[in-house]
Amino acid sequence: MKMYKITLVFAVAGFMCGAMALLFTYNSSQQVYVDVNKLLDGYERTKVVRSEYESKAKTLQANVDSLLNAWQKEITTYEKERSAMSKKELELKQQLLSSQQRQISNYQQAIEQQLQEEDQKSTQTVINDINDYIKEFGERNGYRMIYGASGGGNIMYASDAADLTDEVLTGLNEAYLGQ
Amino acid sequence: MKRIWASKMHKLYKRHILGGIIIWLVCNLLLACHDMRFESAEELSAFVYNENNHYTQHKIINGVRFDLTYKPTDLMVSQQIGDTGSDTRIGQLRKQYGNHLYFTLKMSKNDQELLTSAVSNRVEFGEMVHQLSFEMQEKVQLTTSSKEAIAMTDFIYPRMYGLSKATSILFVFPRDSRVLEADYLNFTIADLGLMTGEVRFKLETAKLMKEPRLF
Repeated sequence: MKMYKITLVFAVAGFMCGAMALLFTYNSSQQVYVDVNKLLDGYERTKVVRSEYESKAKTLQANVDSLLNAWQKEITTYEKERSAMSKKELELKQQLLSSQQRQISNYQQAIEQQLQEEDQKSTQTVINDINDYIKEFGERNGYRMIYGASGGGNIMYASDAADLTDEVLTGLNEAYLGQ
Repeated sequence: MKRIWASKMHKLYKRHILGGIIIWLVCNLLLACHDMRFESAEELSAFVYNENNHYTQHKIINGVRFDLTYKPTDLMVSQQIGDTGSDTRIGQLRKQYGNHLYFTLKMSKNDQELLTSAVSNRVEFGEMVHQLSFEMQEKVQLTTSSKEAIAMTDFIYPRMYGLSKATSILFVFPRDSRVLEADYLNFTIADLGLMTGEVRFKLETAKLMKEPRLF
């Protein structure tokens, strides 16, 4: 009787090992994908970096606006006072105003470039996070490949079962929020 | 007759199972006790720099390659004494280096140092030199799995003037209880103006603490 029990235990263990191996093989051979746009939109860090970027952009734009306002005031004053100015004064004032305009324009361009770079850096940071998590997720769950759909037609059809977006997004946000 | 045969088989079967369990236990015990010990500094170094052993990781983002290596205490010791040294001296150095965690970060573009390949004018060159020499304390962070930041003790950036294939910086962090208790550590490098975004390396604490040893 005892021997039968042992045999039964071994049989059950063998069956379980087989089932695990099958499951692993099934997972690793499965064709699965994630919707990259959904991940980017739903990831909590995207919201954080986007809000940081917007606040920085607002501050820098406010600097440009205040410079432009000051310059426009100078123009108005110049318009009012130009009739009373000598030819030499007029020439000097015009030179001064056009030089200020050039400076503001250069500053505006520098700000735009800086904002573009900031945007690129923060987007890359979010992409790095997503790539890291998907790599870890794939390794942990034994997937040989996880496709990234971006709505551009690289995956024309996939069943709902092949869509891992929600599962990945939940894990990604948990990892970011330190849960 | 049949019963005797069954009883014999039962005994034999039991003995085999018992033998199997003992072998399995002994194997497990041996694996648990197995300490990664190396005879020479070269062997230890080769082991640490082999990515399969999890002490070194790399990432390539926007053409910039990042290589992060955790340097176990004995690797630091071996760099000071080489393959020779008395037990007392080794003990002293282990004690000296054992209180800190040492990481080497290598950054390169097109197999060249950042100052050679990633800057295009004097202003950018100056900014990069300043960042690498003085600002890495703000640019690099070590955090635990529970998001606690470990304050950097120091960092060393030796200028190589284009003679090296990568910009290499040594970072030192305290080996405190928060590190030992964490499941993993995150080593993050902020964007240095190379459009790489924030780059993160995840390091499993258990792997780091099970250090390979010399001798």
